[in-house]
Formats: sequence, C-alpha cells, structure tokens
Amino acid sequence: MTKALTILGIESSCDDTAAAVVRLDDTATVLASVVKGQNDLHADFGGVVPEIAARAHAERVDICIEEALAEAGMTLGDIDGIAVTSGPGLIGGVLSGVMCAKGIATATGLPIVSVNHLAGHALTPRLTDAVTFPYLMLLVSGGHCQFLIAEGPETFRRIGGTIDDAPGEAFDKTARLLGLPQPGGPHVERAAQTGDAKAFTLPRPLLDRAGCDMSFSGLKTALLRARDAVVTEKGGLTEKDRSDLAAAFQLAVSDILFEKTRRALTEYFELQPKKRVFAIAGGVAANGPIRAALMALCAELETDFVAPPLNLCTDNAAMIAYAGGVRLLAGQSDDMTFKARPRWPLDDRAPALLGSGKKGAKA
Amino acid sequence: MLPKSPTILAFDTSAAHCAAALLQGDTITTRIDEMAKGQAEHLMPMLTEVLSDAGLTWSDLDAIGVGTGPGNFTGIRISVSAARGLALGLSIPAIGVNGFEALTHGLPLPITALIDAPRGSAYLQHFTVDGPQAPEMIVVADHPIDGPIAPVLSAADHVANIARVAAGRLGQTQPRPAPLYVRAADAAPPRDPAPVILP
Repeated sequence: MTKALTILGIESSCDDTAAAVVRLDDTATVLASVVKGQNDLHADFGGVVPEIAARAHAERVDICIEEALAEAGMTLGDIDGIAVTSGPGLIGGVLSGVMCAKGIATATGLPIVSVNHLAGHALTPRLTDAVTFPYLMLLVSGGHCQFLIAEGPETFRRIGGTIDDAPGEAFDKTARLLGLPQPGGPHVERAAQTGDAKAFTLPRPLLDRAGCDMSFSGLKTALLRARDAVVTEKGGLTEKDRSDLAAAFQLAVSDILFEKTRRALTEYFELQPKKRVFAIAGGVAANGPIRAALMALCAELETDFVAPPLNLCTDNAAMIAYAGGVRLLAGQSDDMTFKARPRWPLDDRAPALLGSGKKGAKA
Repeated sequence: MLPKSPTILAFDTSAAHCAAALLQGDTITTRIDEMAKGQAEHLMPMLTEVLSDAGLTWSDLDAIGVGTGPGNFTGIRISVSAARGLALGLSIPAIGVNGFEALTHGLPLPITALIDAPRGSAYLQHFTVDGPQAPEMIVVADHPIDGPIAPVLSAADHVANIARVAAGRLGQTQPRPAPLYVRAADAAPPRDPAPVILP
C-alpha cells in the first residue's frame, strides 16, 4: 500500500475561491471542499472582471482554507502537503492563492507543489471514477475548451481546442444579447427548453475543416445579427424569439462539440485503449442537452462516458489537491520561488491555439 | 499575554521593491531589495533570510506587520496574501498597516500624507485631531494642500514604521489585513444594452 497523504488544495484562478482537503493512498477521498463563487460581484458587468476577481480572492483564500480544515475536522498539523493552482488563469487571483500557500508552507515547513489548473480538471476522472490511462478528456468551461488525451499523470496530449472563445463565454455573451441574467449557461439552457432551434439558422464554424479545433466567436456574431434583425423588425424580442434564439445557439454549440468529439474519439481509438473512456469537465458539462448528445455519441461508439459530479466538474480545489498529491507521492515538490503563470499550456508540444504572440500560448 | 519586547517581522511590496523590517524590542533592522517585478518569487526566501541573518526562525515571531497600500494593486495583494498565509500557519496575528499610517507615525496633528499614484496623481489622507478623514485620489497639479505634509520616507524608514505601528497594535483585536486600494476597480457595465422584451 502507498503511504497515505493528506493534501490541502487551493484554487483561485478565475472567479471561484476554493480550498479542499483530500486524502490520497491507493484511493482518493475528498474530506472537505469549499468553493466561494463571485457571481454577484460580476453580475453588473456581463462577465468576470479580473481586478474585481483579484480583490475578492485576496480577502477570501485564507478564510476558505480555514473553512475546509474545519469541515474536515483537521488543523494544519494534520496536513502533509499543500497544492496550489499557479496558472493558467487571471493572474491577480492566481497570485493571491500562490502567496497564501507560500505563506502557510513557509510557516509550517510543509512541502508545496505548484499545480496546473488544467491538470486538475484533466485528472478529475481519476479522482472520482478511478479511470485508467489513456482516456480522452473534453475540458469545456467559461475559459477553456480543449480535447486532451491523458496518457499519464503528467502527460497530456492536446489534439484540438478552440481557436478563439470558450463555449462558456459564448453562453454568457448569448445571455447578455438576449437580456438573460448571468451566468449565462443555466439561463440560456432554461430559455432554450421552450424554444424551436430551427426557427433561426446559425453557423457551425470549422465543422467543414478536418481536425478537432473549434471556433465560437463567429457563432456569437451570427447570434447578434439574428437578434438585431428581429429587433429591427419588431422593436424588441418576444419571449418566443428569445427562446428560439437560445435554442438555436445551444444546438449549434452542441452540434460542434458532438462532431468534434466524434473526431477526437477516432484519434483516441488509434491508441487502442483496453477500455475506451471519454470524460468531460468544466461548467458547460452541466448543460443537459449537450451532455445528452455526448452520452449518446459515446453509447454509439461503445465508449464509457464519465462526467464527474458537478461540484468537481466546475472549478474546485479538490482537483488541485488531488493533482498536487499525485506529484507529492511521486516525490516532487517546489521551492518558494515558483511563479504564478497567466499562461501555461498543459501540452507544450502541441502548436499554440491561443495567444501565439511573443508571450507564448495561453493554455 | 503581551510579550515585553515583541519580535515582529514587517514587509511591504506596494512599490517596486521587497521591503522588510525586523523589530526586536527597541531595535529595527531593515532590508530593501529593489525590483520592478518578481516580488512573488522573491519575497518568501528574502523574509526567511532576514530572520536567519538575525539568528531567528519563523516560530520566534510574535506578529506579522504588513503594508496594505495604497500602491501597486498586484504588489499589495502579494504582501497581504502572504501575510494572511503566514498568520494562519504560525497562529500569530497579521497586522495590516496602511501607507498613510506609516508616513505619519509619530508626527504631530494635523497632518496630510501623500503617496505617489500613476499619471500625475497621488493618494492623499488628512489626519486631524478628530481622527483620519477618508483617503482619496487627487491630481497633484489641481490640488494645492494647506497645512503640514508628512515628509517623504525612504523605503527602509517606511517599512520600519510599518513594524512600529504594528507593534503599537499588538494585543488589540485586529481585523485580517486587507488591501487599501483607494481607487475603485476599473470596470464598466457592458456597452450593448439588453434588448426590449415584448409582451
């Protein structure tokens, strides 16, 4: 049996401040997971404002940690190591988590490990479902959209992703355009329930091109044009127009993800995995119709569909504790000079999809 | 119980440096490492060195003092977050001291404290015998100041005063240190208005 480790995880890379305690031996157990969201702080601005997020994280990280320890019935004396997200993400928030973690580690002498936020998501199927390598992962959230083949705890091959916006961001923008509240995902999904997706024709960008890359920016613009056409004609949107537009948008996203996942699975099958597994993570994985479409695809292609429970699918610190714990068990740790990184692709061999300027790839 | 001669480590990264002051009873030693960036990587090893140079370890501290700004937003968050983590790990208080308090420490009232801000502006706070007024941000050229102004301090004297002010607050219940931004976050509501929803 492996020596058991109890890890404190810290996450602050976007608009959720989170801390968790995870116990790791031959299995992994989440002992506590605290997530404080910031939806109310950003609601007036139609999206996450980095400076507002950073200000909130700076005054919440330590409080989340105390709450997570209390929930686990532990003190820092029971902890064997600290894992913290050090990128990629909004740098102000990442820095708050990293500095608080460095402070605790310095004070206690505990080992610290820097964790890539994307690795946290990508390893979650192992935390929740003990999935074996290699598996195909679709990470789809407000900030990210990429297909990763997880080959080992630190070996991820990115075989495609968005070349512009993430679908979660497109859902938020759609909600704004249709006068629905933020965050957009659940509200657009609810409006779409009564809508006719065929009432409007929206494009499926990049579906005509080979490979697994995606684009959602043009879809947003197409939705804006369709909305403006209705507004010009009628002076506003009826509830039915709104539902129809929401449904048409959601179906377009679903169609893109469905077809690109089919191609990604084909590429994954070339590895001839003993057991075929497709896992999904990120907030967009909570969308009912998108999830149903991908489940149907997996059923058709005789592939296990793994979706971690929603609280471990969206941003959380349990996944960071787990990913960090795996590194600690492998004998790795970092010293106090590690950096917070706004850009940190999980697969640095794959060509950059985003931000390929002199600062390098974003994620 | 209040230690008779407390040991306090104070630090500040509100400007282009990592500044530290170690207060032991009546003596203060300071260290200033100038840097435009990289404070988040440099700060913790530097603080550990400041302690070891004095023959101390982290467990010898009675409190942390931390500069809360105003200043570089990222810089003040780096120190405040580190101070909160250290306080949690050491189970000692972290005491936030803002730049105006550091500048005016020990000076007679009334007095005005000024701290450089970007683009010809300054952060300003008036201290009167009735107490401090709300801090504000001013354009220096448009804002003549009546009455005495606190003299500019070197980074070393500034961080030493953070340690002194923190020492004066030992034993009092302290709120967790929080950044003092003075200026609101730059954020504007979306430009495209929501559509009219027809009945």
